[in-house]
Amino acid sequence: MPRADVVVIGAGLSGLSCAAELAERGARVHLVAKGMATTHWTHGGLDVAAPGGARTMRDGIRMLAGTDHHPYRMLATNADAAVTAHLARMAAAGLEHVGSLDDAFTGIPTALGSLRPASIMPVAQSAALAPWGGDGLLLVGFGRFRDAWAIYAARNLAHALWPGGPRDIRGVDVELPGLDRLHNIAPQILARHFEDPGWRGRALSAIAAALPAGAWRIGMPAVLGLDGHAEVHADVERRLGHRVFEMASLPPSVPGMRLFDALRRRILRGGRIQIGFDVVQVERSGRRVVAIHTEAAARTLRIAGDAFVLATGGIAGAGIRARHDGTLDERVFGLPVAAPPRERWFSDDPLQPHPLEAGGIEVGEDLAPGELANVRVIGSALAGMHYLDQRCGDGVALASAHRAAHSLAARERAA
Amino acid sequence: MTFHDAAGREFPPFSTDLCIKCNVCTTVCPVARVTDDFPGPKYVGPQAQRFRGPGAGSDAPDRTVDLCSGCGICTRACPAGVLIAETNNRARAAIVDERGSILRNRIISNTDLIARFGVPLAPLANFGLRNRMARWMGEKLLGVHRRGPLTTFARRTFTSWWKRRGGATTLPETPDPSRTIVYFHGCAVNAFEPDLGRDAVEILERNGFTVIVPRQECCGLPFISNGLYPQARAKARRNLSSLAAFARAGYRIVGTSTSCTHALKAEYREMLDLSDADASAVADATWDICELLLDLHDRGELDTGFAPMVEPLPYHPPCQLKSHGIGTPAMDLFALVPGLRAVDSDHDCCGAAGTYGLKVERWQIAQDVGAPLFDAVRSSGAARAACDSETCRWQIEQSSGVPTVHPITILAESYRRADAGVDEPWHRIV
Repeated sequence: MPRADVVVIGAGLSGLSCAAELAERGARVHLVAKGMATTHWTHGGLDVAAPGGARTMRDGIRMLAGTDHHPYRMLATNADAAVTAHLARMAAAGLEHVGSLDDAFTGIPTALGSLRPASIMPVAQSAALAPWGGDGLLLVGFGRFRDAWAIYAARNLAHALWPGGPRDIRGVDVELPGLDRLHNIAPQILARHFEDPGWRGRALSAIAAALPAGAWRIGMPAVLGLDGHAEVHADVERRLGHRVFEMASLPPSVPGMRLFDALRRRILRGGRIQIGFDVVQVERSGRRVVAIHTEAAARTLRIAGDAFVLATGGIAGAGIRARHDGTLDERVFGLPVAAPPRERWFSDDPLQPHPLEAGGIEVGEDLAPGELANVRVIGSALAGMHYLDQRCGDGVALASAHRAAHSLAARERAA
Repeated sequence: MTFHDAAGREFPPFSTDLCIKCNVCTTVCPVARVTDDFPGPKYVGPQAQRFRGPGAGSDAPDRTVDLCSGCGICTRACPAGVLIAETNNRARAAIVDERGSILRNRIISNTDLIARFGVPLAPLANFGLRNRMARWMGEKLLGVHRRGPLTTFARRTFTSWWKRRGGATTLPETPDPSRTIVYFHGCAVNAFEPDLGRDAVEILERNGFTVIVPRQECCGLPFISNGLYPQARAKARRNLSSLAAFARAGYRIVGTSTSCTHALKAEYREMLDLSDADASAVADATWDICELLLDLHDRGELDTGFAPMVEPLPYHPPCQLKSHGIGTPAMDLFALVPGLRAVDSDHDCCGAAGTYGLKVERWQIAQDVGAPLFDAVRSSGAARAACDSETCRWQIEQSSGVPTVHPITILAESYRRADAGVDEPWHRIV
């Protein structure tokens, strides 16, 4: 039977970060998850807080902290340290980032050809940050790679309101060599191809042949390597003679895979990870959780711990399940879910934030839900945010993970 | 995991409807990583499954599902609960059912039959297994790759040793389920690695258990992996009818192969649809040996008088072990042995996947899948490595050149050294 200081449930950004931080502090951490999660669906940059009207992420945090029920009410003070720690973890894994909470938002092109506000991102996405001056934007797509359409994105961007944008926006499709046998080209397959220097040389020759003359910055699908990403990106820029930035395409996201691997390796230095098994039973003693049981091929696996971190996500992440009768279940501990009543689950405007998105678990200052003293709730399981519209999902994940790790470490010291 | 329809019937094949098309499974698939021929678990699984079923006839989707090695990593990665590997395995079985199987697959799956001929003829058979010309012929005539990971036959089966030892094979007259273990040795221990079986008996007896070795056959997993479900069901039914009486009487069934024990725990029910009371009783009673020893330790009942084994030890948890959902008990046991520096390989799959890595058309894929693991084992500088499943051990040993043993081989050696009263820590030459 495994026994841990802290059992973290969930393998998204919040769970991975919390487990990494606890492991760094010397705790025996055991991370369990039903499956791999949202890291593989993200763009790889950091959405800390970008509600409408905010000029910087720090502005955004301040605005959201002033909103009723928003997790930033108590997490605002953790954001700086949490983001700093995250960027240090990424840098240690060779994933350098640029930007800070105080940098003004810049519009970054997406694979669909819209602009999203960003200020902290991996180096490989940062070439789109600098003022465009006289540079043109050339989007390069890869023939038969169906997850990113350069010409379509370029046409959309040409219609976007983009003050100070590129002098010219074009899209071009390039046939990459040796891919004709593939039934389907997934991003990570291309990423592994890019790590092979021989193939990369041939691919870059094909891309170079399609480049128009002049000063361009090149946007490409985010497939520039996995483990050897920094080296691949530098080599691509050097050989093409232009600055190149990655744009996340449809899932699975290669930048998200890099992030997942970096945190996973960090946790494994001192902790354990078990992915693939749902929590099926909880042992309680009064207001404390003593152990969880995960499903197994026969019997269940009992995992005892001093503390438990719930990082299973909200309704979209399946940590909370909506039933047909209008009730909502938090799936591990059965915690009460704060959410609007069922008659308000539907609205006439599909583009407005969904009322249920703000549903979640209400917690105290230490992120403990009322009835369980040694549990902490982090990430998008927390009530009170519209993380898509407010672009605050990553920031709340990191800040709550940081706060939970500190609060549990303080308990350890006191005990 | 299983799902139930309105009538309460289980319906694992339709878990594919839960697929949200996120493609996480494709990112973790070790086969898709190394070959362009396999489009990945999502495409051959939940995607293609929609076009299979009654009426699909010979237009049923592509044969590329046969490139799936069955490691199960996709099922564990899926955030939506789709039984991807299980779906693929059933699809392969449906194809085999419809179009038949090649002779090679029917032979290499039939491990009991191979043992029946191989063990009595061990000197000759082993000469053949080591002879390059014979292996070349095996490749040309049968399609078993000449460098496929095969071990050699034992001169004497485990069961013949057990019989000569006078070991128990039936329910004892005075039942004591708490201090008795039913040992499921499987076909590999019986025909190829009887020493491992003897180590298991030694360790169990040392910890105060009486061991029973009832009549048994191969668990049937090689048939399951090759889509030969009728043959697998025949094996499974005979094993269940032999083991169920012990399970019902409260005895624990312990195996030394995480593949066999996973078949008893899960595949009989989930793939072969043997969901009767016997199958449930046996599944609930089945333990991997390291799982059992760690459970004893948790209860304070394990003899922890381990002598030091001062050596680095790369440990590879096999895919089948990961599907047990019991963590890595061997790593916890290694921590009880002074001086042993065990390191989890942190690699997904060795590539062998039972009989997959033997096949001439799959051998290169299996080698490419396992290559990072082989490199890590070689560069560890260790004199040996450890792994809980037999075909994985043979693959790692052959491809890395580093002898690879079952975790309990290390534990048994440590106990024996303690008995021999060796005071000096033992330093392996590295």
